[in-house]
Amino acid sequence: MNSSVSIALVVFTLAFVLSMLVAAMIKVVYWTVRYLSSRMENRK
Amino acid sequence: MTGNDFLSLFQGVHTLLESSTAIMLARIGFMILGMLLVYLGKKGILEPLLMIPMGLGMSAVNAGVLTLSSGQQGTLFLDPLVTNQEQLFNLMQIDFLQPIYTLMFSNGLIACFVFMGIGVLLDVGYVLARPFLSMFLAICAELGTVATFPIATAMGFNANDAASISMVGGADGPMVLYTSLMLSKDLFVPIGVVAYLYLGLTYGGYPYLIKFLVPAKLRALPITEKKVIVVTSGQKLAFAVVGCTVLCLLFPVAAPLFFSLFLGVAVREAGLQYFVDFIGGPLLYGATLFLGLTLGVLCEASTILSPKVLLLLILGIIALLLSGIGGIMGGYIVYLLSGRKFNPVIGIAGVSCVPTTAKVAQKIVSEVAPNVVVLPIALGASISGVITTAILTGIYVTIIPQLKLFFPQ
Repeated sequence: MNSSVSIALVVFTLAFVLSMLVAAMIKVVYWTVRYLSSRMENRK
Repeated sequence: MTGNDFLSLFQGVHTLLESSTAIMLARIGFMILGMLLVYLGKKGILEPLLMIPMGLGMSAVNAGVLTLSSGQQGTLFLDPLVTNQEQLFNLMQIDFLQPIYTLMFSNGLIACFVFMGIGVLLDVGYVLARPFLSMFLAICAELGTVATFPIATAMGFNANDAASISMVGGADGPMVLYTSLMLSKDLFVPIGVVAYLYLGLTYGGYPYLIKFLVPAKLRALPITEKKVIVVTSGQKLAFAVVGCTVLCLLFPVAAPLFFSLFLGVAVREAGLQYFVDFIGGPLLYGATLFLGLTLGVLCEASTILSPKVLLLLILGIIALLLSGIGGIMGGYIVYLLSGRKFNPVIGIAGVSCVPTTAKVAQKIVSEVAPNVVVLPIALGASISGVITTAILTGIYVTIIPQLKLFFPQ
């Protein structure tokens, strides 16, 4: 029982960290594409 | 001609009378349950696209049991328990759904087709507009997916089966199927059936949970948007490509699911209209038809009758209940962190299965405050729920087989 609670905690922590990393990745992609597209428009 | 000879002309009745009492009652029960599912599907209480083929399949397979040439009882639909290659090859030529089961269902292809269809229907712009908020609510709404695991092991399930039934908390049918196919082949039929049955039923129950946990004053809380965030299709496509690559890199075992989901998103955002029409139409609905049909046909009494089914039914409802509570708790955390400006009802939308939970959140809010619109934020949380459930699928499918190294039994 104790080991399964530990596993559940590890799984949740890992899922939480990965979810926040995915959120950060989304932000990075969002700003990168925005920056690149504004640079391309400025060149025109 | 004796009575027994006469009855043998009607094999369905004959096998019913020849079966043990438990199997006979289970077959009759499943025939009635199948009819009930068709009725509830037609009434719109349960999802008709899935429940009508599933219910009809369930009734038909339990009625159509006959004595095979080997002398054993069976059907001409499919045999999920066959393992011998030669026997499987023979069955492919006899059981009409065996090719669908072997080549599309048991390898997760149908689940992937459904996921491609979901991807085509998703507008990831809602997630891109508020990624941290959406992902936070979604991960809180995975409480049932995680907390059910120790409960299931305490009830006597091994780690593989416990992880599979816990995935019901993610409220995403294809993910549950995929996890149980990967981890617990013996129980994937009852787990899949429990998941799909509950997904329909619990959405009817979530409004009561919200009303119980969130007072009317908070349910009416308006959302004040500082500015409208515009997300271009280029940004959505870039997210699909990077997101797919990173998640496949982290969880190769769940790569087919990630790939299928993001392929749908990429096709949509790239504006490939012919593909969008195909994946969002014939492929999605065809896969849903065969998914429902196969799930129904798999509910043959002798296959599904197991003492564990009752426990699975209890664990399934616990998982979905805990996920709903977790989602609302997430909503409350954001409400407190935002200086009491966030409507906590939105948290329920973190339980995935787009767009049902988001619609539930909007419906409950509209009942007390018709002018308050929470749907865009709720949709973001709901779509993020698909991603967090996929992440948890990846974690379970990757970690659980390694557990024997750390916790030898």
